[in-house]
Amino acid sequence: MLQQKADHDNENRFELFLLDEGQQKVEEKAETRVPNTSVFTFNKEDHTLGNLLAQRLLKNPAVMFAAYKVPHPLFATFELRVQTDGTVTPKEAVMETCRLVIQDLSRLNESFQTEWLGKRIVSEGEVERQQREHNNY
Amino acid sequence: MDYDPEGGSINVRFLQADSQRANFIVQNFNLETANALRRTMLAEIPTLAIDVVEVRDNTSVLADEFVCHRLGLVPLSSTGVEELLYARDCDCDGYCDNCSVTLTLNAKCTGSEIMKVYARDLVIESRTPNDELGKPVITDAEGTGSCIVKLRRGQAINMKCIAKKGIAKEHAKWAPSAAIGFEYDPANKLHHLDYWFEEDPEKEWPKDEARINLDGGPPNPDEEFKYDAVPTRFFYDVETVGGIPPDQIVQQGIAVLQVKLAGVLKALSGGTGDAEDFGGAQSPGANGDGYGGMDAGGYTPVGGPAGGYGGASSWGGAAQGGTTPYGATPYGQNW
Ligand SMILES: [Zn+2]
Repeated sequence: MLQQKADHDNENRFELFLLDEGQQKVEEKAETRVPNTSVFTFNKEDHTLGNLLAQRLLKNPAVMFAAYKVPHPLFATFELRVQTDGTVTPKEAVMETCRLVIQDLSRLNESFQTEWLGKRIVSEGEVERQQREHNNY
Repeated sequence: MDYDPEGGSINVRFLQADSQRANFIVQNFNLETANALRRTMLAEIPTLAIDVVEVRDNTSVLADEFVCHRLGLVPLSSTGVEELLYARDCDCDGYCDNCSVTLTLNAKCTGSEIMKVYARDLVIESRTPNDELGKPVITDAEGTGSCIVKLRRGQAINMKCIAKKGIAKEHAKWAPSAAIGFEYDPANKLHHLDYWFEEDPEKEWPKDEARINLDGGPPNPDEEFKYDAVPTRFFYDVETVGGIPPDQIVQQGIAVLQVKLAGVLKALSGGTGDAEDFGGAQSPGANGDGYGGMDAGGYTPVGGPAGGYGGASSWGGAAQGGTTPYGATPYGQNW
């Protein structure tokens, strides 16, 4: 029997998001020439996380420099360079940033769920009201 | 800057909420998280789509590969996909009921009229976790779904389709949303846009008055330009393909992003070896619950000028798998 993939072009696109054998999600390399500086290599991640972390890190007063780059568009990795003022380590700064974003998202989720339910009830009531008026005619 | 009735905390306001669309505003939010959520919703939410097809018979005018590709793009209900394993994580050889849904498409034209084979003709053959999972999404008034192939007298098609769980980063057929509208600062008060013009951009470009009024009104010409102002209000318009309701797309997007961040935390806190358990895409079943209790640490975001490379250039660019394929797909259309 002939078996077909439903798509034919690139068969290995899972390499964009699945870690290779033994690969770590994040690798930290301390910058020896500059104090309080590290370059974090994120494997199997892209701009979604890179931009989020870099921009959010800049809002931390202890962070003096934060930026990311994707060294090559065909490799699913990015490098995040972080320099702090020494009151926290770059790793601590990144971890704090992750926690803060997770919290923000939880708040967003709470508000979203409440408002969605409210709006659904209002919309459904509106539809019912229109149907009632329609029937009255 | 703007009048804010809700105070300073992150909040959502809905403009429209129905079974197809979630049109809402997020207030007191920040651009980087808003954009990360947009990208996550586009590309990293698990859904179900046909991935492997066994062609038992195909005497239609369309080539096997052509029909298989069309089958892959047929939207299927993803209700309860979290109960399904990724086929690559499953112990089975190839596929089984724990990691796939099997559908068959079997039709033969015997009459003189041309026969259309529709998405509704896909029949679930395997045992599924619930009654919805894997059903073709039908939203048109005729109740047929999209047309997959046409048959003439004597032509037949018989295919066994294996639908698997996946994310749109791998292929756009797994995208949960048909489109996600995303906008901030509709009046361009922040000057993030530089309008092209013949003589006067004010006259030549249309304005969305309603939306500008939702975003604090038009700019005050007497006010000095605030070079360090940042956007805080974001307009989302999430439209579903039909496999997952729009509110679930948003909630799943939030959860997947939280799991991704938790994976980074885990990797950095020295969790060696099993970092892949938290690789984001692999374990979206784990909902983002339980993070809310973490200590805020008295940290207040500083809205300073945000420099650094990789910043502005990456916004509109690379929503992978996001935009291009939709226009070409037959969702909800009859030829
Ligand atoms: Zn299996």
